[in-house]
Amino acid sequence: MATVRSAGLAESINATLADLLEQDPRLLLLGEDIGRLGGVFRVTRGLRERFGEDRVRDSLLAESTIIGQAVGMAMSGLVPVCEIQFDAFTFPAVNQLVTQAARIGGRWNGQASPGLVVRIPTGGGFRGVEHHSESNEALFARFPGISVACPSTGEDADQILRYAVTLGSPVLMYEPIRLYWRRDAVARDPEPARSPTAARVVRRGADLTVVTYGAITHEVLEAAHALACDVDVEVVDLRWVAPIDMATVLDSVRRTGRLLVVHEGSRDVGIGAEIAASVAEHAFDALRGPVRRLAPARRAYPPADFEKDYMVGVQEIKDEVLVMTK
Amino acid sequence: MALKSESEYATDLDDGTRRSLLRHMLVARRIDEEARRLQRQGALDLWLSCQGQEAAQVGSALAVGPASTVFPSYREHAVALLRGVAPDELVAQWAGRTFCGWDPRRLRFFPYTLVLAAQTLHAVGYSIGQRLQGLEDFVVVYVGDGATSEGDMSEAMNLAAVESAAVLFICQNNGWAISKPAEEQMRTSVAERARGFGIESVRIAGQDPESVFSVCSRATAHVRGQRAPCLVEIQVSRFHGHSSSDAQEVYRSAEDIARTRVADPVTAYVARLSGLGVVNARWLDDVEAEVRELRERLVKEYA
Repeated sequence: MATVRSAGLAESINATLADLLEQDPRLLLLGEDIGRLGGVFRVTRGLRERFGEDRVRDSLLAESTIIGQAVGMAMSGLVPVCEIQFDAFTFPAVNQLVTQAARIGGRWNGQASPGLVVRIPTGGGFRGVEHHSESNEALFARFPGISVACPSTGEDADQILRYAVTLGSPVLMYEPIRLYWRRDAVARDPEPARSPTAARVVRRGADLTVVTYGAITHEVLEAAHALACDVDVEVVDLRWVAPIDMATVLDSVRRTGRLLVVHEGSRDVGIGAEIAASVAEHAFDALRGPVRRLAPARRAYPPADFEKDYMVGVQEIKDEVLVMTK
Repeated sequence: MALKSESEYATDLDDGTRRSLLRHMLVARRIDEEARRLQRQGALDLWLSCQGQEAAQVGSALAVGPASTVFPSYREHAVALLRGVAPDELVAQWAGRTFCGWDPRRLRFFPYTLVLAAQTLHAVGYSIGQRLQGLEDFVVVYVGDGATSEGDMSEAMNLAAVESAAVLFICQNNGWAISKPAEEQMRTSVAERARGFGIESVRIAGQDPESVFSVCSRATAHVRGQRAPCLVEIQVSRFHGHSSSDAQEVYRSAEDIARTRVADPVTAYVARLSGLGVVNARWLDDVEAEVRELRERLVKEYA
């Protein structure tokens, strides 16, 4: 299997943030322990020293305070890039995100376009304690006015962040914790995405399309390479789950005739359901078999000793692909 | 903390300021009356009356000056009109035409926020953001007594305190969170709570626009001078239900409602300034004529 070495996600995002702070004086960072400590994952390490405490701001330990004040800062013309410490800690800020940040532009009849980015470490597989390993992106994908990005590489995170700070409406970027320090990855098709918001075909194939996003993209690629002799799998990395680039998905499914959706967030009423429904509506005639989803069952993320049972691994992906193509 | 008597705050205002206070109060009262009528006729879907709160709203809004940015809650109609929101712009969102009928940026009077206390954090963040850019950072945020139970209010007070944000919190305490009386909402005053966060505060009666004006002028000077937040809790009376959708007779005694009406800040101030000779019948007729025109335009647009 061809693997490539790259910078870890944390290091990539750190470099992008530094560059954005350098380029745009309106930009500032806001989050718990992001300054002196450099963030619990050290993603913002060294930035306070370089850009000062006014622009790399250690917030109070209150998530509604983080997002609520960021909304006000955005109204004043700044571009706050917030960090939530762990995915599940987003919940105290949901009111400010959903009823406020997402609606300001509409409420102001377009006279305000508050740029606001929220970086959220997400996902499991690192023996996190309760609330530290969740994947709640599908929840926010439901709300109009919020864009939701789920990069699986530092290169994508860079492109997404640079686009997000110019958008003028809130963007949540989910950063897989287990990719923060991972340096080796399965080689990807070099063709870049058509646009910053487009999905990316990261592996070309003819027999079956796997649509996925986030950290598990790496497991999907591993499975695809392992099966290469038997099945030619195409892999689409969505990169964004709101809005979803369905054009790329439909184009792929029309070529392969088979669709498997794999994600780390729980299956029911999830992103996979949306993809499956859209494919059924728009590419039903191209399908050679039923669309399938592979994702954890609808239950709370378990204690660390049981997370291997909860998460979808390379073997399950391979098994599912073989069942669908036999 | 007991309410201080009005005389402790009243300073001698010039007659021009007094007439301005009364004029804005009369305009707000008459527009509110017309909006209630339009709602009963089905032209507006909902109306949240500000009647009884005119002295608190006009006194505070005039005191903070035109350079401040105001983050209202959703009942600050007198503040809105004083800031230059036209009556038809004010009622547009209650007629289902928009979520905000006016130009928030030009008037520095931001849109109403219906999720309670969410705007308090925006106000503090906005002030910090302005300060970071070297721009005017004096911000006024209005909140009701009911909304102070929301976590965002406590978070905003703490944030404003630790950031020394130039934010003036104005809490209009009308004694009711829809149907829940103030004594069942809190064990201390809102002003006392603010001091727990390290915010200077004062609690005053809200019947006399002059004392409200004086206190809010001093609070404004404090915020600007000390670069620190301040909270003014103003005790007001709510004449009508929380909104046009609740009959307060269901949860409020007839005696209490009657007491509220007796303490009408608008009629009291008309009588006072007339008695002092600051206004006369002709001045009042002129204001009423001006308001009649505004009402007619409103009716033409919405009825």
